[in-house]
Amino acid sequence: MLLDFARLGPWRVALSLIALLVGAYLLLPILLIVALSFGSSQWLQFPPPGWTLRWYEDLFDDPEWIASFLTSFKIAAVVTVLSVGIGLMASFGLTRGTFRGRQALRALFLTPMILPVVVLAVALYAFFLRLHLNGTFLGFVLAHLVIALPFSIIAISNALERFDRDIETAAIVCGASPLEAKIRVTLPGIRLGLISAAIFSFLASWDEVVIAIFMASPDLQTLPVRIYGTLRQDLSPVIAAVSTLLIALTAALMAAAALLRKDDRS
Amino acid sequence: MTVTDVPMAPQSPAARRGGRGFAPVLPALALVVLVFVIPVLALLLRSVLEPAPGLQNYATFFGSTTYLKVLGNTFLVAFTVTVVTVLLGFPVAWFLAIAPSFWSRLLFAIVILSMWTNLLARTYAWMVLLQRTGVINRTLMNLGLISEPLPLINNLVGVTIGMTYIMLPFMILPLHATIRSIDPAIFQAASLCGASRFQAFTRVMLPLTASGIAAGALMVFVMSLGYFITPALLGGTANMMLAELIAQLVQSLLDWGLAGAAALVLLVITLAIYMVQLRFFGFGQARG
Repeated sequence: MLLDFARLGPWRVALSLIALLVGAYLLLPILLIVALSFGSSQWLQFPPPGWTLRWYEDLFDDPEWIASFLTSFKIAAVVTVLSVGIGLMASFGLTRGTFRGRQALRALFLTPMILPVVVLAVALYAFFLRLHLNGTFLGFVLAHLVIALPFSIIAISNALERFDRDIETAAIVCGASPLEAKIRVTLPGIRLGLISAAIFSFLASWDEVVIAIFMASPDLQTLPVRIYGTLRQDLSPVIAAVSTLLIALTAALMAAAALLRKDDRS
Repeated sequence: MTVTDVPMAPQSPAARRGGRGFAPVLPALALVVLVFVIPVLALLLRSVLEPAPGLQNYATFFGSTTYLKVLGNTFLVAFTVTVVTVLLGFPVAWFLAIAPSFWSRLLFAIVILSMWTNLLARTYAWMVLLQRTGVINRTLMNLGLISEPLPLINNLVGVTIGMTYIMLPFMILPLHATIRSIDPAIFQAASLCGASRFQAFTRVMLPLTASGIAAGALMVFVMSLGYFITPALLGGTANMMLAELIAQLVQSLLDWGLAGAAALVLLVITLAIYMVQLRFFGFGQARG
């Protein structure tokens, strides 16, 4: 009755209406940004009086925007590699180790994900002041790595737990060394976990803004820091152009993830 | 002999004591201790050490109407956002679980797209929509519903609208999983026993989804408490939330002691709520 759409009766109308309104609430702001990024009104008039690519030209002509884009990309790339590497090792330890306190250790590794990020931001800012790491590439990488690692550990541990260990043992019986078996049998077996660890680690760093606001120097700013700084002054349509590019990136990653899932099923 | 009986590499002394496999965890442990545990503990320590040892920072925090008002704002916004996301999220999760596959897939894609879209991009959208000359005010004025633009931004109204937008997916996804796990036969049974739709809803559906609702609500509430970016951009200076206060104490006032105290208050509330969550619902379900 209540779980059969056709037999919901009058409730079907109410449910569909709310779903429609919430769908619009979630989707329209995103479409609005895309529209405004091509609109000719500097004051973000909607509907736009005309169409233009001016904001994209402004964006790509500005070396500072390009620099912050590259900075973000480099940091996120290094963080992704380290996060997957360290996360893979930690996941092996957590899922296969027999030492005591594994549950507590796992909880500790996941804590940075659930604590309010502003607390970590302020704490790291103070700590890095003493170590002279604020505004440095290394500082950004370390800070974002702490944020990204929980995503890696969750994705890879889940994959490892699902992986049938007897296959690895079988490879060893057939003459592979334990390390060889891990690299040639286990890693391909958990590749989906590794890929999602990489995607989430990249996004965790790429989208991170609170810690970056505190740590950034005028010389080294990530893309989100630059967007945030601009937004505090005015609602320039250039931000609509940047946002549209970020939305396109999201949509592409979503499509990739969907394809991966389909690939996995077949 | 089964494969698991094959003798493996010789065991180290540690293995015989039952402590195998600790080494691979070390890099992660070093990172988390150095870049997370030590800095956070150091910040919290400053709350009782600066400017002089003692609890005066906590006395200042809880003795000042300004700071208590910030705490009040924080709870008010987090509570409102939680209630609204439950009220909107439940029907949407229900729809997603049972609607014809084209419509549920479409809506699901919208929810995921919105959740994954850069936070600043989404906040920017709401700054544009809510401003004095924004689309919402202009539309309402053109319709003749209002004569003056409504103050929708730089206050708690704006913060609540923007935060609700950001938190909705975190309510919809776990609720969707909960509703999908219900066996439809239960409602056939309820129907056979003569229950009306309303009775089936209140006596069967709500009790079966209560734990999912509670888990989603706790998560949204606790995430809202510590939120920084959206309140900083959509809120006003007159009505701050706790995360903004912590940032301001550090950035503008350089009052590390008081910032540490405010951070501890936020941490204690957050951890207390997570403890409730872990105790009653487990960690996995909370993440949806």
